[in-house]
Amino acid sequence: MKHIKILGTGCAKCKQTEAIVKDVIAQLGIDATVEKVEDIQKIMEYNVLTTPVLVIDEQIKVKGRVPLAEEVKTLLQ
Amino acid sequence: MATKTAVEICPSTTQGRVNAGALLVDVRERDEVAQLAFDVPNIVNIPLSEFEEHYQELPKDKELVMVCRGGGRSLKATYYLMNMGYENVVNMQHGMVRWVQRRVSYKR
Repeated sequence: MKHIKILGTGCAKCKQTEAIVKDVIAQLGIDATVEKVEDIQKIMEYNVLTTPVLVIDEQIKVKGRVPLAEEVKTLLQ
Repeated sequence: MATKTAVEICPSTTQGRVNAGALLVDVRERDEVAQLAFDVPNIVNIPLSEFEEHYQELPKDKELVMVCRGGGRSLKATYYLMNMGYENVVNMQHGMVRWVQRRVSYKR
């Protein structure tokens, strides 16, 4: 089971990232939880200045941009 | 990290702090600053996109007031500095937008 977090204060890019991640999970049929973290103080626990941030199993994988679906696939496989 | 909540202050309090020697740190990008700048004596501009490379240039022995357009980016920068061991750092809420509304000094 993968634990995925998307860090972002609610901007369009963060929502786009969430949609891509959920789409990839559905395509791959993997077991994963997706949590959207919008609280600035919780986001800053990862000490990141630019969002969106994709965190997989507590590791920062992508920050400051919307990841490509292919990239998310590779990261999740 | 970031277990403490950042202190946030309003533009008038900010002006008082700057007059008392605090350093204003504007994290807006350079093109934004070129359009409209804070007109205070103690100010530096470190765009958020370059912040990780340059934050160490900021003094630890001075009070820092972080500012941006609306107060969101500067709040991130405030927490970032707190995480990096800066103890005397606060955020100005609502940024340049409120600063202009309150007619505090700025220049075009």
